[in-house]
Amino acid sequence: MSPTVILYISQAIHGLAYGMLLFLVASGLTMIFGMMGILNLAHASFAMLAAYFCYQVLRMFGNFWVALLIAPVIAGMFGVLTERYLLRPLHKQGHLAELLVTVGIMAVILEVVKLFWGTESLVVKIPPSLGGLVTFAGMTYPIYRIFVIGLATLVLGFMVLILFKTRLGKIVRATVADSDMVNALGINTPLVFMLVFGIGTWLAGIAGVVAGPLLTVFPGMADQLGMDAFVVVVVGGFGSLGGAFIVSIILGELNAYGIQFIPRLAPVLMFAFMAIVLAVKPLGLFGERE
Amino acid sequence: MRKYSKWIFSGVIVILLAVIPQFFSIYYANFLVAFAIFSLYAVTLNLLLGYMGVLSFGHAMFFGVGAYSTALALTHIPGFPLLPAILIGGLAGGLLAFILSPLLVRVSGTAFAMLTLAFGQLIFVLALKYREVTGGEDGIGGYPLPPLNIPGVMSIDMTDQVNFYYFALVVITICLSILWFYTKTPFGSLVVGVRDNAMRLQYLGFNLPQTKAINLIVCGAFAGVAGAVNALLQKLVSTVGVLDINTSFLPIMMAYIGGTGNFFGPVIGSGVLYLLEDLVIRFTERIGLVNGVIFILVVTYLPLGLIGLFSMAKEKWFPKEKAS
Repeated sequence: MSPTVILYISQAIHGLAYGMLLFLVASGLTMIFGMMGILNLAHASFAMLAAYFCYQVLRMFGNFWVALLIAPVIAGMFGVLTERYLLRPLHKQGHLAELLVTVGIMAVILEVVKLFWGTESLVVKIPPSLGGLVTFAGMTYPIYRIFVIGLATLVLGFMVLILFKTRLGKIVRATVADSDMVNALGINTPLVFMLVFGIGTWLAGIAGVVAGPLLTVFPGMADQLGMDAFVVVVVGGFGSLGGAFIVSIILGELNAYGIQFIPRLAPVLMFAFMAIVLAVKPLGLFGERE
Repeated sequence: MRKYSKWIFSGVIVILLAVIPQFFSIYYANFLVAFAIFSLYAVTLNLLLGYMGVLSFGHAMFFGVGAYSTALALTHIPGFPLLPAILIGGLAGGLLAFILSPLLVRVSGTAFAMLTLAFGQLIFVLALKYREVTGGEDGIGGYPLPPLNIPGVMSIDMTDQVNFYYFALVVITICLSILWFYTKTPFGSLVVGVRDNAMRLQYLGFNLPQTKAINLIVCGAFAGVAGAVNALLQKLVSTVGVLDINTSFLPIMMAYIGGTGNFFGPVIGSGVLYLLEDLVIRFTERIGLVNGVIFILVVTYLPLGLIGLFSMAKEKWFPKEKAS
């Protein structure tokens, strides 16, 4: 193959890896939005928190796999506590108050992270089994990015199975569609809220941990991941999982090719894409409601 | 008696503000100017949040565009006078609101917050990347501060910080008064009606999108003025100072802490936050942590803010005598 084609393909895989990462964050975000009607602005902060936990666990045990297992779970537990003790009491006050509290949580997480780990970038080493390059079809590619794509696909496939093939998944989807009705049918919706919030932050936590070696772990991480995930949710349509998936991949590719060809305008490209979509469809590509 | 006490109260405040630069260092004078700027900025946010019932999450775009316009005009046009420099900031803010209004009036609630956040970020990234015009992260600095010319009467040097203090306070007070009367006009009541029962207004024959758009433009314009005065005070405009997401969150915090249900709530909230920062900074650098925790507590336990707390206490301890 000619070097140009190889370049195009490797950029495409880059974009796919970032897109999958983005979807791990955005899927929780959009599901929480669909159920509770709030966009959790602190969502990416939980991803960052998980990345820092991963760094800490790595320093204590020195094993990436242990960190990958533990860190997102701790982040998810923080998510559950947040939902239970900060968001639930506010539910009757309306969406604006809940939205604003997530802003406060974002600020607090940012400061706490700076307090414990400082402001400089921390390096998380790629474990040796995932380091190095793989060669296929005449091109070399870093194993770690392939691993990211694989892991994200695995986790998301698992989630799709739960969501569409089990009774629990049915309840969750019904709650996303109409939580009052589900509540009236005798299902404990606050519990479902808490569960989905926890799972959403857990997914974001996984994204944060695997993003650690790619982006390094730093306090601006939440802003970076959060803004991109936020664009995904807005463009894909509030509460639409399928839309979030498609837009995640589009944004990942847009980012990868943008950096390749017009590096200076790559971030602008993303927001311009969003502005165009919103000008045509204010509720996003696949959004159905406000 | 009540009427007089109001006038006396205002008089005392005016005299206090007038003598402050004579007794305190210029640091506190500039501190007060910054507080005044953010009061105006937070009031424009509250005209959307408290009066019209929509939350602008990207309010910094109006503030920042105003600041950048003023800075650019002063940098590139030699001898650009002072008052037009401020006006151009207001115009830029209003123009931006006008451009965005066709999109923004279509939505409300969370979607409005998200749309404004999105456009705020778009403008932030644009300003960051268009180095030729905006200077990127370094921003624009070193522009001249023109004197205030009153033709035929005098010319006041604005580089003197005490003069600038009086000038900025007068400008902000005029803007706040205009906004105050604006809320008292029939149109102001219409804006409140949008919040309370938009559908009913439509049945009554009022043009809903137009009402929302006009209020949006007014808020954008005055936020732009606040940004312009800020540009004159700081003598530096950079993306992280005037366009970033924290600049958008700050007025929301101010409005909520002071109380969104009252015109002067954001002013009080701004004062509280500034005093708090001045106080906290002596003990710890973690001002963001303190602000964040206070914000969470206020939103959770004091949805009406300090003014709400005050009127609740008044109700409890000094109940109004029943007319019998």
